[in-house]
Formats: sequence, C-alpha cells, structure tokens
Amino acid sequence: MRFRSQLTNIATFTKLTASLSSLGKVCWMRLEDGVVRFTIIPDQGTQVWAQLPVDAIFEENTYFLEANSGVVNLEVPVGALHRALRSAAGATTAQIRLTKKGNIPLLALTVLASSWTAGSNALGVTDADRPGQGPPERSGPRERETLIVQEIPVKVLHESAIDGLHEPRCRDPDVHIILPSLIQLKSISERFTKLATDATATSGSVTGLGASSPRLELSANMHGSLRLAIATDSLRISSVWTDLVNPPLDPGQLSQTEIEQLPSERMRALSDNDEAAWAKVRIDGKDWGRVLSVGRLSPKVVACFVHETALILYVYLPGSWNGEDSCLTYYINSYAA
Amino acid sequence: MATLSFSLAPPALLQLHDALICLAKFHDTVAIEAEFDLLRLSVLNSSKTAYSAFVFDADSFFETYAFGISGGRNARPDKFACQLYLKALLSVFKGRASGRDKDTAVERCEVELHDETDETECRLVIRMVCGLGVIKSYKLTYEQTTVNHAVFDRNKTLNQWSIDPKFIREITDHFSPSAEQLDVYSDGGKAIFTSFTTKITDGKEVLRQPVHTSVAIDKRDFELFIVEDNLHVAIALKDFKAIIAHAETAGAMITARYTRPCRPLQLSYGFKGVKSEFTLMTRGESSGDDTSTSSHAVPELSARQTPAPVQFTQSNAPSKTDHMPPPRSRSIRPLTGTSTRATETNPDSQRPSASINFDSLFVPADDDRQWDVPNEEEEEEAEDVLGWDATADQDTFNASLGPRLQDNEPRMPTQDATSRDEEMGIPPTQRISQLHGLGLFD
Repeated sequence: MRFRSQLTNIATFTKLTASLSSLGKVCWMRLEDGVVRFTIIPDQGTQVWAQLPVDAIFEENTYFLEANSGVVNLEVPVGALHRALRSAAGATTAQIRLTKKGNIPLLALTVLASSWTAGSNALGVTDADRPGQGPPERSGPRERETLIVQEIPVKVLHESAIDGLHEPRCRDPDVHIILPSLIQLKSISERFTKLATDATATSGSVTGLGASSPRLELSANMHGSLRLAIATDSLRISSVWTDLVNPPLDPGQLSQTEIEQLPSERMRALSDNDEAAWAKVRIDGKDWGRVLSVGRLSPKVVACFVHETALILYVYLPGSWNGEDSCLTYYINSYAA
Repeated sequence: MATLSFSLAPPALLQLHDALICLAKFHDTVAIEAEFDLLRLSVLNSSKTAYSAFVFDADSFFETYAFGISGGRNARPDKFACQLYLKALLSVFKGRASGRDKDTAVERCEVELHDETDETECRLVIRMVCGLGVIKSYKLTYEQTTVNHAVFDRNKTLNQWSIDPKFIREITDHFSPSAEQLDVYSDGGKAIFTSFTTKITDGKEVLRQPVHTSVAIDKRDFELFIVEDNLHVAIALKDFKAIIAHAETAGAMITARYTRPCRPLQLSYGFKGVKSEFTLMTRGESSGDDTSTSSHAVPELSARQTPAPVQFTQSNAPSKTDHMPPPRSRSIRPLTGTSTRATETNPDSQRPSASINFDSLFVPADDDRQWDVPNEEEEEEAEDVLGWDATADQDTFNASLGPRLQDNEPRMPTQDATSRDEEMGIPPTQRISQLHGLGLFD
C-alpha cells in the first residue's frame, strides 16, 4: 500500500482540516483514483462527508496511489493533520506520503520552506578534529532553507472496518435554500446561543436542557426566507433573512414530473404567510457553531431542510477546480421539541 | 546579619521581570543569593533535571547596590541566600514597567532586605517609586536557605553551538504543543531538531500520539556549530521553549554546550549586565544507535575525559537496541547497579570541585546492569538527577560536573526522523523507565 503526493492549495487543505477538526478528533480519509474523501462520524453531533477531486488539494501528476483494492483508507487524527499543515504555510514545496516507522503507519508531511536572513553568519565547523571542513565562510543576506518533517500517526483501515459506514440517506428535502453569509449567520447564532445560555443559567430553570447547550430553531421556506430562532422560558428571539435563493434543481437529473412530485414543490405552492410553508429543524447551538466554521473556506452552502427530521448542508468550495465536484456534506439531526 | 539594598531603573526592572517570568516556568520557588559583586536568582525544578540561573552584575545592572554581611549564623561569610515564593515576587513586578499609565509609571524600584535576628519574620521590602509621588511598598516573607547549584564545566564540553534564538523559535513553532522532548543532532550540513514524546503506543492510543516533527536547518544559520555528527541529545521541550522565549526577548545570542547524551547540557547567554545559564539534563543514547549511519561512534578519547558514570551507559547502550534484557539479573541489580555506582561516585561527589580527569580505572570491568529489567520504581528516584554543589562560589561554577550525576539508558525513539526510506525500521521497544522516569510530565 503506497500513497504519496505533492500538495497544491495548501491553504484550502489547511482550512478544510481546521473545520473538520472542530467536529471530531479522528477522520476517515479515503484515497481513491481521482477522488479523496474525508469523513467525520462523531459519537454525537454532525457528520461530515467531504468529497474532493484529487486536484483540489493534491498535485495530480504527482499523486501516486498503490493498493490492492485501489483504495487507501486511513484513520487520521485530523487535529494533528491540521497543525502539521500549518507548517506548510508559505512552503516552497510540500509533499505528503504514507510511510511507516516501526509498526506505526504515518502520514509524513515534508515541507521545504525558505526565508531570507538579514545578517552574515559564520560556518563554524572549525573543529580541530576535522580540519577537512575548510575555513569558515562568511556570507551576506542569503536564502535559508528549512526542511520540516511532520509525522502524523495514522491507522490503516481494513475494508471490513469501513463496510458498515454509509453516508446517511434522507427523504427528499422539504425546502432547499442558499444560506446567507456564514460569518453573519455564525455570529448571530452564537449571540443567540449565548443569550439563551445566560438566560437559563440565571433563571435556574434547566429542565429539559440539562447540561447541553441551547437548541436553535432553524427554519426556511421555498420563498427565499430563512429564520433563526431560540426560545427559553425567559426569552424568545428570532432573525429572519429574506430574498435568499431557493436554487432550482438540475432538470438534467430529474424529469419535470418527478420534480413536480417533490416535497419542495409542494412547499413552494404554499403561501409564504402560511406557517406550514416553513420546514423547521432544532439543532444544538454549539454544534451549529462548529459546523459554521466551514465558512473559512468561503463556500456556497445549500441547506436542505427535512421538516422536523434533519438539516443537510451541501458545502461547495470555491476555486479554480471543478466546483461541483468538491462537496462537503454535513448531516445534522433535528432534536425533538 | 546581612544587609542588602539595591535599586533598579525602569529598563532593569523590565529585565528583572522578564527573568522572573522565565524562572517561573521551571518551579515555584526562587533562590536569591547576594554577594558583594552580584545578585543571583536561581530555580531548580522539582525533578532536579533543570537548573536555571540569572546573575545580575552589581555595577552594570543596578543603579545602586550595597551588600554587607556579618558572621553569626551564616555558613558563608561572603554571601547571603534566601528563597521566596516566585509567584508572590512576580506579582509585585507585574505590569509595572510597561509604562501604560505615564503619570504613575515606576521611576525607580528599591529593594531592601530586613534580616533582623531579633524579629520573628524576615522580610524583603520592595518599594516602587512612581510618578506623582506615589510609592508602593511590598513586604515579602523569605526563608533563609542554602542554595544548590548545578555545576557545569564549560571546558569539558565537546559540542557547542550558538544561534540567534529567533531561528530556534521558528523551529519550535512547528512542534506540536503536546510534544515533550526535543532531540538535537547534526547530519552533514544540517542541524536537525526533532520533537517527540515518550509514551506507550499501542492500539487506539496510536492516534493520540503527538506528531513527531523534525525540522532541519542549515548549519550556516548558526553563528558557531561544533558538534559531532549524528550525536543525539534530548532535552525537555518545555524547558527549552521557556529559555528560547526569554533569550528572544533579551535579544541575545544563545549558546549550547554539551558533551554527550545523559550528561547535562547548558544553554547560556548574556546581555547588559545579566548572565543567564540553564543547565538541563539530557537523554539519549550515549553511543549512536542509528543503524543506517556508520559514523556514529563516539570517540574513545572523549569518553575517557568524562566522569565515570558515563561509561556505564556507554557500555550499556549497544545492548539496548538489540536485545531485551533477560530477567536473570533482576535481583542482582541493587548490587551491580546502584551500589556500584554509589561506591564509585560518592568519594568524588563529596569534593565537587575536584579534578574530573577520571580514567577507565573507575569503570567497572563487568557491568551487569545492562541485563537488568528496567525497574521504574527504583529508577524513578535515580534517573536524571543533576549533581549539586551547595557551596557554589564562582570557581565551582566553572568546575567539574559533580559525578553524582546518574545516568539512565533511554533509547532515542526518533533515531532518524528524516530518513525517507520506508524500509527504515525503528526498534519499537521502549524502556518502561522512560515513561515515569522524569516525573516531569507525569
């Protein structure tokens, strides 16, 4: 089993691992010909299934993969991977490869970075024992090179270990809508969560909430509106965004009649004053904040609401590569009222 | 009875504060020693593996400095020593010299020692003379004590490098925050710094293992680099970072001196009337174990120049990498290991400033300890303890390393972190003693 590649778009890779690491400690990294997939399945909270074309983060002509099944499955401590990648910021070249030290498989990230020195330095190898090293040599400003090797311990997952892992399946969504600016959404969500936390803490009524963070109520309709709300015993707040886009479905994939039968089309038929036109989910405030950390990649996010069941986010990364191919899918379960 | 009073100008106050911050990273009590021409602050960490000292020159660092002592209960007629709770001392200086509030900024700091034999409490009085006639006084209780110093003989060091701490900080920035140890070696034209952690790695734990990071920089980045190739020494990363951070604020070129693994390493630098020295115990194998390189052998000559205990490790080291010690000699250990060492070294440790030109006479011909099963219970106490010299005057500072220093035989877990060969096998065994050995990070 072999894998090695030069990295491209190191910033993207770094940001991606940063947002993944906020949701889980370990990540299943699946390397295939042409496609890389990162999956996070925490015990509790949001699942992420991220699929990227190889050239989104790896240099395609150096991407080398060799495995019996054509697939390499790794369990990677994603936080450690993220930290390691930060060493590659401003790197001249960066290479990642699967290797082994003793019995521990590793992802070794080799980074060559260079900077300029200001002053002159002496080469101090004038040890009397080694006269062959030559006289000290002085130099003015020069390029200095630093070679950094980060060795991230990983686990190679056998096919059988991942057989049971499947991407969640959901019924067709009731509402799909493009989310507004994630940073705005994030700060308002955090504000609400904090207010609700403070309110429950001061009023002392923690019934039903327990130690967990407050539940945000997120709802949307097919008329371009998104509502973020939170309610506790002492307060009830909501923010509404309007004039958002409900993206049309790709007519190439579904026939006109199929589209007409979708729940979202039924929702579209309802008037926007009608409460029934809103598809609603209840989500954990803190977890939602971590999900929104993907905003650092400045993506386009389509949120699909399955009323009272789940929220699915399709996060499309910007960039020169084929935008539609690289998609991070977040599966967020709705809590019962 | 001793009298001590000195005053500091704002820049010196800032430097004193920086030094205290650095010292606080090692332990919670600071020893203050006053002599006629200097003031020394030193801290020894609880596991006695790191000793740090700042020496402030009486003339160039202080605005005024007066010290007097008269016999009595003092063991040494020419110096006074006490210890203070470092946090208490630090809080006095906190934010004082920043000059945020221009009007009431500290203009001068006066420190006076009240060592009255007829009073029950000894006090160190610190007065901050601020603008607008504001005077803030602090009285701190101190405790008279005798101070231990790590002794380190600079003349005996075989390896030495000097570098701008900025470059080193750039290196340590790449390390994982949870990494505990730092291994340093050179290979060809490169100096390689590797962070690692000695911990059991099995099963699920593997993924929790900190990332091993190795950073190679050109030897030309050093002002001076005289180091035996492929000689690995390892020190505690936390200590190293604390030192680098201070050296960088002080803007001083930092120099490392060491002989070999399992012997102390000293980092030192000086600036504006301040000399700082940090003596750290190193780990590693005293002879190279890197199977992929051939030039690792430690010269015999240098081995003979160093105190006897090193020879133990040297004779031990080859066996460590190759075989598991058979259990046979476990019961023998106290005899061959501890007691041999005790009888060999004690005579010398009692005269710390004596010559250290031991030769192989002191080396036991047959060292059974190499077969021992590592016994962490016993070694917990024995490992990595520095040698001490309680008399600590200037010449013993430069004198020999106390032979009481005891050696362990840790294995280098990262023999060749930069090797790109996948075939490069690293022996997976790890001595249990390493896990609890230092008590530093338990």
